[in-house]
Amino acid sequence: MSSPYLRWISWLILAAAVGSLVFLIGQRVGEREAQTQRDAMRRAAEVNTLAVRSVVEKYKHLPFTVAQHPDVARALEAPADGQARDRANRYLQGINQRAESNVLYLLNRQGLTINASNWDRPDSFVGKDYSVRPYFTQALQGETGLFYGVGKDTGEPGLFLAAPVRQGAHVMGVVAVKVSLAEIDATWKDAGTPTLLSDSFGIVFLGNAPPFGDLGLGKDRSYVLKRTLTPEQNQWLQDHYVYGRKQLLKAAPWQEAPTSESPALEGTYLVRDSQGNQHTFLAMDQAVFAETDPFKALGWTLTVMVDYAPVIRERNNAWLSACLGTGLLLMLALYWRARERRYREIQQDRQELERRVAERTSELGQANAFRKAMEDSLLVGMRARDLDGRIIYVNPAHAQITGYTAQELMGQLPPYPYWHPDDVERHWNKSDAALRGQAALSGWESRLLHKNGHEVHTMVYTAPLIDAAGHHSGWMSSVVDITQQKKSEALQRQQLEQLQHAQRLAGMGEMASIIGHELNQPLEAMGNFASAAQDFAEQNRTDMLYSSLGEIRQQIQRAAAILKRIKTIGKRQTPGPAPMQLNSVAENVLNWLAPQIHHSQVRVETRFEAGLKPVQADAVLIEQVVLNLVINAMQAMREVPAERRLLVIETSQEGQHVCLRVRDHGPGVPDDMASRIFEPFYTTKAEGLGLGLNICRTIVEGHRGSLTVRNSDSSGAIFSLQLEITP
Amino acid sequence: MSQTEQVVYVVDDDEAVRKSIYYLLTAKGYPVREFASGEDFLASAALQRCGCVVLDLRLGGMSGLQVFDALRASGSPLVTVFLSGHGDISLAVDATKKGAYGWLEKPCKDSLLRDTIALAMREAEGAYKAYSLKAEQRKLWQTLTPREQQVAWQIRTGAPNKRIAQVLSIDVRTVETHRAKVYYKLGLSNTTELDHLMRDVEIPPLDELAGH
Repeated sequence: MSSPYLRWISWLILAAAVGSLVFLIGQRVGEREAQTQRDAMRRAAEVNTLAVRSVVEKYKHLPFTVAQHPDVARALEAPADGQARDRANRYLQGINQRAESNVLYLLNRQGLTINASNWDRPDSFVGKDYSVRPYFTQALQGETGLFYGVGKDTGEPGLFLAAPVRQGAHVMGVVAVKVSLAEIDATWKDAGTPTLLSDSFGIVFLGNAPPFGDLGLGKDRSYVLKRTLTPEQNQWLQDHYVYGRKQLLKAAPWQEAPTSESPALEGTYLVRDSQGNQHTFLAMDQAVFAETDPFKALGWTLTVMVDYAPVIRERNNAWLSACLGTGLLLMLALYWRARERRYREIQQDRQELERRVAERTSELGQANAFRKAMEDSLLVGMRARDLDGRIIYVNPAHAQITGYTAQELMGQLPPYPYWHPDDVERHWNKSDAALRGQAALSGWESRLLHKNGHEVHTMVYTAPLIDAAGHHSGWMSSVVDITQQKKSEALQRQQLEQLQHAQRLAGMGEMASIIGHELNQPLEAMGNFASAAQDFAEQNRTDMLYSSLGEIRQQIQRAAAILKRIKTIGKRQTPGPAPMQLNSVAENVLNWLAPQIHHSQVRVETRFEAGLKPVQADAVLIEQVVLNLVINAMQAMREVPAERRLLVIETSQEGQHVCLRVRDHGPGVPDDMASRIFEPFYTTKAEGLGLGLNICRTIVEGHRGSLTVRNSDSSGAIFSLQLEITP
Repeated sequence: MSQTEQVVYVVDDDEAVRKSIYYLLTAKGYPVREFASGEDFLASAALQRCGCVVLDLRLGGMSGLQVFDALRASGSPLVTVFLSGHGDISLAVDATKKGAYGWLEKPCKDSLLRDTIALAMREAEGAYKAYSLKAEQRKLWQTLTPREQQVAWQIRTGAPNKRIAQVLSIDVRTVETHRAKVYYKLGLSNTTELDHLMRDVEIPPLDELAGH
């Protein structure tokens, strides 16, 4: 089941419940009002019943009492006795007067009035025949006669009470008294609320109902019927002149409402104005006489009505109030609900907002933390400046590099405290250029002075700082500490230099060996000459002695020349990169090695390409390389027969490179050694350090060149040196 | 210059060394001749003499060893002393095994050179004597007729006359005559002496002769 459906169901149930409640509240209020009305009616009914009954009670025994009187009996016994008749008349008259009854009269067995209290009045009953009257017939049979009706002759309504006049068991006549209820009627008229007295036929004969207008009861013998009469009843009424000879019975101007509309109040019913006024009354019937009462036969009923409008009003008011209340409640509920919803929405919105704020905050926090961690972990110093060059931010790495904390630098304008005093002018230039947006993309090398006084070498790169709105708000510089790099570069350079020095020493060792060998010659010669000179001196061969000494001097000069060469070789300084000619380098090397070459019985063939372009290189270092290659080549051919010892040196230009190849005709480089030949400390020579080729390659690669080896197709190895032509 | 007069040849391409040795040995009274190359030396020096050669191992052109081999091939009685550099000692040792008298490592003390030369000269005298004897014996051998030489070869193998006669298809008496002549001409008295002589003077083998 879908939830909207459920909701509708629950809404309907709620509406029904509320409706029922409202209805019930109205009902209940109406009922309570009706109850109040009923109670009032009941009290009124009690009072009025009592009034009626008291009248009846008052006259109940009068006929009996009167019937016992001897004058009455006498008047009956002797109808002709005038005296008796008078006495009876006067008696009746006197009683009637004291009893305040209407008329007191005596009927004979034939129903003929023989004596009456009003015997002396023009409207006297005497002589009138009332034999058809029910009270007469009842009393004649020995019972108490009871009848309410309209006077047969007078036309005035009244209560007729009759009692038999007995002589033993024999009924001689009947004493009847007529009591008018006009007095009661008069009090009811003042009551204002409908109070009606009706007989057993339902004919209203006394009372009034002001809201329904004048009922006109008794006037022109008109009466009101509460319910319709059967023809028999009607006949009976006419036969007994109950409501006169020409009775006029009208329908009641009200109608009993269906019982379904009546409030659930015992003994009450609703009556509605049948004349269009739509007046509704709550009515109550009360029997005037109890079951055991002898007057029960009268069948009188007292009807009391009260206006039902207040009840309805109350009920309606209650309904209205309830509806209003409910409506109010509903509105309140709706308002509450709307408010709740609004509140909830606001709450949700707020929560959502809070959540988003929290999220955003968290994101921001994370981003910040990330950025901070990044900046903190960064080894690169970051420095932000505004457009005037005022420092607005530095990261920890920057503080690390310069020694000045962010607090110390914040807001500083150039010159900054960490500028190296020797480079201030340069710093100014670069700073101004950067602020003009002319910073070199490749950065510039900046020398700084750390707060604690040591020198720091950095690379500084500057880029525009663009704020969130896209405005150019300053400059961001990254500062890379290259001090260590510089140091290690220097160290590396130093190491390389040392290595080269070592190599040169090693080379010099070889050179020394060569030159030493060379030096042996003059030394040996000098020894020999000296020895000879000694002998010649002993033998007095002066010419030979001088000659020997002359030779000695020559050899000393030769030795000195050799030593001078050693000195120059040892002293040679690397001049640094400069344009140099590969051919002249090779020639130099061959010149130096000429004695060794000669001594090694090696033939040298040179094939120098004329007009080689110069290369940017350190001539001394390259000479060192070529020297090594030539010495290696000579050594490689030591085991080869002298006539096959051929060393070829050629130079050539190939594209953007110049090449020098040294080819020997030795055994070549074994394949398994070709890859190791350039490794440091790799050597096949007993006296070698194994640094030669390694340093050669380092030197060549330091010049962005290459040094390779391969075996020749015929025999021997070919070492190739390639250097880039100076653009 | 008599046959037995001694001589010292110095072969070195380094002028200073060569000249100084020349001076040194001249001062000691040796007749010294100097040569700048092996080729020069082999071409112009008298090789069949009593004396010694101071021979540098490393020479431009022919190497010292080549010169030495050529000398040996010519049957020269010259005694060879090599001069070697630091790296060439193994070569010098090999050369000594081949019959060189000795070697001197450069640079060498003048006294050592002098002493070595003195000893080499004494050796050279012996060598020259042996060379002279051999030359004499070869001359005697040359006095044998071919048939006598054939018989001499057979005698050397220790074969009896009968057998020699069969091999050479000659008469036994003829063999006996030849044998007597061989002994007589060569101044020998028995087969052992003949064998020694033939070995010393390096008489070419028989079949070589037979080829003629």
